[in-house]
Amino acid sequence: MTTGRLPPRRYSGARGWLRANLFRGVGSSVATVLVGIVLVWATVGLLQFAFAEANWERLWVNLKLFAVFRYPVDLLWRPLVAAGVVLFAFGASSFGAEEGISRIIRGAFWQFFGLVCGLTLVAFIAGWQVAPFYLLAAGLGVLGFLAGRWLPALSQRAGLVWLVSLLAVPVLLYGIPGISGAMQVVPIRVWGGFMLTLVLTTGIVPSFPIGVALALGRRSKLPAIKYVCIGFIELIRGAPLIVWLFIANLMVPFLFNIGPDTVPSLGKAYIALTLFSSAYMAENVRGGLQSVPIGQSEAARALGLSGWQTTQLIVLPQAIRAVIPAIVGQAIGLFKDTSLVFILNLQDFFNVHNIVAQQPASIQVTGGIRLELTLFLAVTYFFFAYRMSVASRQLERLMGVGER
Amino acid sequence: MNRTLPRPGDPHNRERIPFYRNVKTIAILAQLIFVLVAGAALFYLWRNVTTGLAASNLAFGFGYLDDRAGFNLGETTIPFDASNSYLRAIVVGMLNTLKVGLAGVVLCSILGVSLGVMRLSANWLLRMLSTMYVELLRNTPLAVQLIFWYYAIILAIPPRSENAVLLPGGIFLSQIGIALPWLYPSYNFDRWLPWLLAALLTLVAVYLWRRRQIARSQRPGNPWLAALAVAAVVAGGGYLAASAGATTPDDLAVEVSPSRGTGSVYIDSDGDGMRGRGEEAVPFAPVVVTIPAARLQTNSANLIESQEVVYSTFRFPLIANGEYEEAEVVFREPEEAEGLSIHFERYPSIGTLYRDENGNGEFDEGENSYVEDGFRRGYNGLGLAMNIEGFERRLVSDRSGEVRTPIFTAPQLEGDQAGGGEEAGAGGAGGLAGGLGALFQPVERTTSVIETELELPTASPLVYSEASIPRSSYFGGVRLSTPFLALLLGLAIYTSAFVAEIVRGGIQAVPLGQPEAAKALGLSGVQSFFLVVFPQALRIIIPPMISQYLNLIKNSSLAILVTFSDFFQVSNTVGNQTGQFISVYVIILIGYLGLSLIFSLLLNVVNARLTLVER
Repeated sequence: MTTGRLPPRRYSGARGWLRANLFRGVGSSVATVLVGIVLVWATVGLLQFAFAEANWERLWVNLKLFAVFRYPVDLLWRPLVAAGVVLFAFGASSFGAEEGISRIIRGAFWQFFGLVCGLTLVAFIAGWQVAPFYLLAAGLGVLGFLAGRWLPALSQRAGLVWLVSLLAVPVLLYGIPGISGAMQVVPIRVWGGFMLTLVLTTGIVPSFPIGVALALGRRSKLPAIKYVCIGFIELIRGAPLIVWLFIANLMVPFLFNIGPDTVPSLGKAYIALTLFSSAYMAENVRGGLQSVPIGQSEAARALGLSGWQTTQLIVLPQAIRAVIPAIVGQAIGLFKDTSLVFILNLQDFFNVHNIVAQQPASIQVTGGIRLELTLFLAVTYFFFAYRMSVASRQLERLMGVGER
Repeated sequence: MNRTLPRPGDPHNRERIPFYRNVKTIAILAQLIFVLVAGAALFYLWRNVTTGLAASNLAFGFGYLDDRAGFNLGETTIPFDASNSYLRAIVVGMLNTLKVGLAGVVLCSILGVSLGVMRLSANWLLRMLSTMYVELLRNTPLAVQLIFWYYAIILAIPPRSENAVLLPGGIFLSQIGIALPWLYPSYNFDRWLPWLLAALLTLVAVYLWRRRQIARSQRPGNPWLAALAVAAVVAGGGYLAASAGATTPDDLAVEVSPSRGTGSVYIDSDGDGMRGRGEEAVPFAPVVVTIPAARLQTNSANLIESQEVVYSTFRFPLIANGEYEEAEVVFREPEEAEGLSIHFERYPSIGTLYRDENGNGEFDEGENSYVEDGFRRGYNGLGLAMNIEGFERRLVSDRSGEVRTPIFTAPQLEGDQAGGGEEAGAGGAGGLAGGLGALFQPVERTTSVIETELELPTASPLVYSEASIPRSSYFGGVRLSTPFLALLLGLAIYTSAFVAEIVRGGIQAVPLGQPEAAKALGLSGVQSFFLVVFPQALRIIIPPMISQYLNLIKNSSLAILVTFSDFFQVSNTVGNQTGQFISVYVIILIGYLGLSLIFSLLLNVVNARLTLVER
């Protein structure tokens, strides 16, 4: 006779949830209590630091440095309008043909719109001069959203909308040469802060075609092309970004036989970041190319498509679709890596904290304000990077990548 | 379509394909054009660089590597000073990179694997905590994290090594860094070496034998257990035998000057009892320094510590509890210190001066300072002396054969003003100095008066070196600087988030049927995890883990943010000093590419071994 065993225990209700998730046996209960104590201690410590010990005044005073660095005060409306244009593009493209992707973009739009609205509120309460332009940026967002919703002609051409707005942003930030007044040129060397960080992050855009070209080159059957591409990719990936930034700073004038200051630091950093990113992009795209079943290209060839047509129409679209989440992941990486441009003395969001911490008034604060500043940096970087990683995960689910 | 297709196998019937439509010719032509264009571009860039270099009078070359570096490095794994060459500086940098890299790899693996397992725990709180950890760390830049750790460490621990936090096990912690006890190979290590080799051989032999035996018996078993046990017995027994047979070299000698606080262990080859030129230093030799009677001096001062003014404090070199028979702290000029008392924070080395205003015989808050002209002042600048009897410290010479002790002065003998002879002369000078004590200090530094007994105990093959604080820095043990700690912590914690994700993914990739089958076979949860799931997950985990390790080492180039002398920072300094940027960058690239190559070779080997043999 066999001895029977009771069926596995079922848990239900609030008490059941607690039993199942927190106090399931001795080990689990001990872990819960210990981790609980540590969490409470850490939270209390953090709150105590944030609300009692920390000195946030220096941060508040220097917010403009963190946002745009030394961008002229009376032209501050231009970066804000640029932000509004981007928000417009987000809104306009949130009703595209593909519902899944549109929903993800819509989610991002609402979150950034919420952020802009929050900042608008702060701007009005604090009485900043540029507060109306915050409102304008939010308004542009609403406009874009409505246009996307009711003008299918616009929402079907999301690519075009993005192209136009991405071209409008540099014009807004830099100005138009030869014009004085509202659209006068703002030299690149006074750019900085979070604006610069975002500008550098757009390096992911040019790195995409370069990366695709390198990936195709790496898979080429022609040895000369193949090995040159492999050499380039592995050389770039072999050394850390910080080394490439240094090399770009020093070598760009030498390589193109120009004066040391002809290309601004921003340009050098942009070149280094883009090339660095494109080598990693190439590896991502290569992974996508490898994931396309060989039968696809064989079928294409059997249908009479040429080699180029096969790649362009059959293999590449499938490959890129498969690696979109990885590309978003890479954009997160690039966003975080822009913090290394301090090497080139660029005042990006990260590097501004050095300037603020070394201001005489900041030094006088007992204990310095480094911890406050790093906390602020961490929270801001986290907000954007985490938002992107959420989008990446949504895309992954949408594409069915990684599902077993 | 009246064109006839060429029929295969019929050479006469084949239409000639024009060369510009021949796939083979096109391929060759395309490559030729590509190579020409790429070559032209490279040539253009190269010519620009060479003309630019010629214009700025910089010759490309590596000759400068042998020149004198002329700078010191904060962190050295091999002896290095300013007189060494640039090449050696770069090597030191590379070793530092490897040091922080390897320590980081170990630390991030431990952290990452535990967190990855935690993310799949049945316990909701653990799961939440590790998810938060991973998301927070992956989504903030490493640069921000490094700065955070650097300042969090700097602000949390005492600034001065004299006031170091003393942790159990002889660990010191201060802003100078951390000092831990460490085992070093002594001059008797050679006696143990054959035993170690024997242990290695037995390890291999027993492993092979056991493996064959297990294979023959067709029963489960682990060949490593017996092999490791036997090897441990051989190595341990050998250690005891080597210690028993250990001797001190005949001409081993030591000299220590307590008044200068330095000394060295050396081979006295000419037998004159003094360290002469060319006499070899002996690293890692144990020494017992005994000083029957001597004196330490210091002045009280106001210091700023942890952002607060600490009034009227004094610090003698740190003397631990077991190191003296008797110690008393007195004022060097009692008249000046009328009414002041001494409160010890760490007897007998660290304390505070106070005026017992409420007369309770104890130190109360505020009694260590007074207000004058509206300013708060402390009792600073008062001379203090510690009369110490029977001081005994066990030291191990460092890798350059040096030993360090606190700086002692001659003991204050009773009635020394009236005494005669050599000793009293020195002591008298101290007494005479009176209010001008500081001025007369050089007179007190007479070496002959401090009686010192030195002993050289026979060293066992490994010597246990404990850290001490003879002056304002650590001596002995192993010392890790604050930048190193910040960098290590930052890198390990940052990378552990990525490792945790890899581990989680690896475990989740094991088909659910596996743990179910294990459970059906009666294995417990722990058994099923360690014997069934985790070994299969490792196959998926290890390859991406190796690239994370490489990332960690490459990321260590951010050392520049915490002023740690890694490969990149040192090379860059060399570039700045010599102006030879281009060849320095060639070296940097070769260094990092070499590391990448090593890791990809490792990855290939591991991949080859891990690939499932399909049946």
